[in-house]
Amino acid sequence: MMQIPPLPLASIEAVRPVFLIIMGIFLMVIAWRLSKIATGWAARMIVAGALLLGFGYAIVMPLYEAGVIERYAPGRTHYHGTAATALAWQAVKLLSMNCGWLFFGLGVALHAKLLSAPAPRRATNPSTFVSNESAA
Amino acid sequence: MNLLLEIVLKNGLLLDAVGVIGLGLLGLAAIKLARRDQSWGGTMMSVGAIALLLARLYLLVSPHIIDDSILHMIGPIGISLTIAVPPLLLTLGLAGIVWGLWGHERWLSEESL
Repeated sequence: MMQIPPLPLASIEAVRPVFLIIMGIFLMVIAWRLSKIATGWAARMIVAGALLLGFGYAIVMPLYEAGVIERYAPGRTHYHGTAATALAWQAVKLLSMNCGWLFFGLGVALHAKLLSAPAPRRATNPSTFVSNESAA
Repeated sequence: MNLLLEIVLKNGLLLDAVGVIGLGLLGLAAIKLARRDQSWGGTMMSVGAIALLLARLYLLVSPHIIDDSILHMIGPIGISLTIAVPPLLLTLGLAGIVWGLWGHERWLSEESL
């Protein structure tokens, strides 16, 4: 069992984790409110990304900063816990943060209609085409 | 080590690429939102996304280009900047994105009233 070091809330060392927790929760709340206005896949992607990012920012990153989870480094051989645990948490962190950004970015892109094709151009003057055809 | 874990974790390129693509999409979408709707939330979000992208690219590239000669060249202030600036960019970028999203959401709900 690993000892959790004492970390008073909102001391200078704890400002960044507290900030990350607040931002993660805020992101999830705003995405939830945005999903009521946006529709369809855009809202689903935004919420999915925000949930992954919220998990990453509000739970995993503060645990890293508090030293509860050990950082994994490829060349490192000595861990206080087991190397497998550090590796697994590294996988969880990478997956949640990166896939979170991908989903969130895709959702916002769909919401902004970034990926949809532009509206087809209308033929401006179809009458000339018809008259040419009749002349031929 | 499991082969899949090795591919995903050892070089980390796949997941980093996924994250960078997502951030890029977010930045482009935010710029488009800002231009189309004139909402300040989009501008804020794009600034945040660009800050996050810069910090992430620096963190990706720095192990390959930073060595002792460069550290000697930039001096103590430069070294402390390389330590201090990436977390600052990450923090400010996240704040910008969340703030921008909030602004855009408020703008949308005002619009739909």
